[in-house]
Amino acid sequence: MIDLNPFPLRILPRLKDHPALRSLRRQPRIWRDTSDFTSIDYGDIILVDNRWFLVVGYMREGRFGIDEQPKQWVPKVSDLETGESNILKLVFHETYSIKFGDLKVTCYRNPEKEARVLELVRGNPAFMQGYSVLDDADNLVRILDVVQGNRMDKYLQRLGEGHEEYFRDHLVGVLQRFLLSVQAIAYLHSHGLKHGDIRRDHIFVDWDSGHFSWIDFDYDFYLPERPYAMDLFGLGNCLLYIVGRRNFRFQDVLEDPELGEKIASSLRVEDMSLLARDRVFNLQKIYPYIPDRLNAILMHFSAGTSVIYDTVDEFHDELADCIASL
Amino acid sequence: MDDWQRFLIAMDKSETSRRAVRYVGHMARGLAEKHICLLHVYPEPPPDFYTRGGRLDRYQMVKDERAGIFLQDASIILEEMGISGRDISQQISMAEGRTISQAVLDIRKEGGFGTVVTGKRGVSKAEEFLFGSISNALARHARDFTAWIVG
Repeated sequence: MIDLNPFPLRILPRLKDHPALRSLRRQPRIWRDTSDFTSIDYGDIILVDNRWFLVVGYMREGRFGIDEQPKQWVPKVSDLETGESNILKLVFHETYSIKFGDLKVTCYRNPEKEARVLELVRGNPAFMQGYSVLDDADNLVRILDVVQGNRMDKYLQRLGEGHEEYFRDHLVGVLQRFLLSVQAIAYLHSHGLKHGDIRRDHIFVDWDSGHFSWIDFDYDFYLPERPYAMDLFGLGNCLLYIVGRRNFRFQDVLEDPELGEKIASSLRVEDMSLLARDRVFNLQKIYPYIPDRLNAILMHFSAGTSVIYDTVDEFHDELADCIASL
Repeated sequence: MDDWQRFLIAMDKSETSRRAVRYVGHMARGLAEKHICLLHVYPEPPPDFYTRGGRLDRYQMVKDERAGIFLQDASIILEEMGISGRDISQQISMAEGRTISQAVLDIRKEGGFGTVVTGKRGVSKAEEFLFGSISNALARHARDFTAWIVG
């Protein structure tokens, strides 16, 4: 039996009835200091900003091809006063390296940067919404709204039967919405902030309006001369996925019965990604109906490019002109 | 157009930087009026610097000390080539809130340097995409001044 005395009256109705607590065989712990987030468990309560958040699960994330792991520093919570569902992001300082062949980029989790982005983009539908508060130990806790939508990559799979139908009937509409997402990233950069982890599953498509929203801003990079390079690289990868509705590695092309050795043998080093050499960027070799102008934008991210984009604005302007011509 | 005989050499401790210094020495030693500024710009500390307990004053002190050594070596190269010490200056700066190339361009403008010189490392396209190239950035922004890129 749970002792309800430590809790304020205003949360008792939801606290007593919540399924997460009905099955709990212990007193829920109240966490005002989230430093030791690995000890915070299902059924516990995180008390920040005078809001009582009941932990009901954890967000999961995996890099592509890797099993999704629960992120203990990102609990799914229920506000016991309002019943609202939220996501909390607790402070977790992590550093790791991303390798591109011989090149290495150091990546950091940066809660302060995410807090600054949330502050800047408040009310902007191109971004996940939320705000930041300090817990009792001065950890910067981010309180996020749940994005009511689906991952962009999964959403694209439902548009059209084959690629040609997708290309003919849906691509322009998708690109127009993606262009707003690109503009949103340029807006961050104009304020000296980066997204930090631009991937096709970090764009969510609103279930009702269909607009695109960026999520997850806590990654940061140390690239003093090209601070926004990883964002640009991510945008190129997103565009590649949007145009092709999947990614192609050399082996994928070879094993695809509709493409096979004829297309695979036509692929050159210059057709592959500038940074991830197993990814085909010259999609025109796979889908010959892709217009030159659109393919040319992709090719700026290929190993064969002689000109790289310097800024997201340059990428945006070329993409905007290209979409207008489609 | 600023005074072309005012040279700003953006450098680090690399051999290509020393080549740039020697090149300027050859070109400038016959000039009656000249000034050569040896400049090193270093980046801000990484994002996790403060959470790891780093202190900016110590970071800057270490960077300044290291840069002071190779800038002094460069001064000696120039003096051995016949350039008077009076015509040489040194500057060390952190690129606060901007890229290294932007900082170099700002210092060029503030100092009225008509010629900016830097060494070229010869980076791949992938390296240029991720890490940038000071020499390419200077060449691209060379308006109202001359950029010498020494390979």
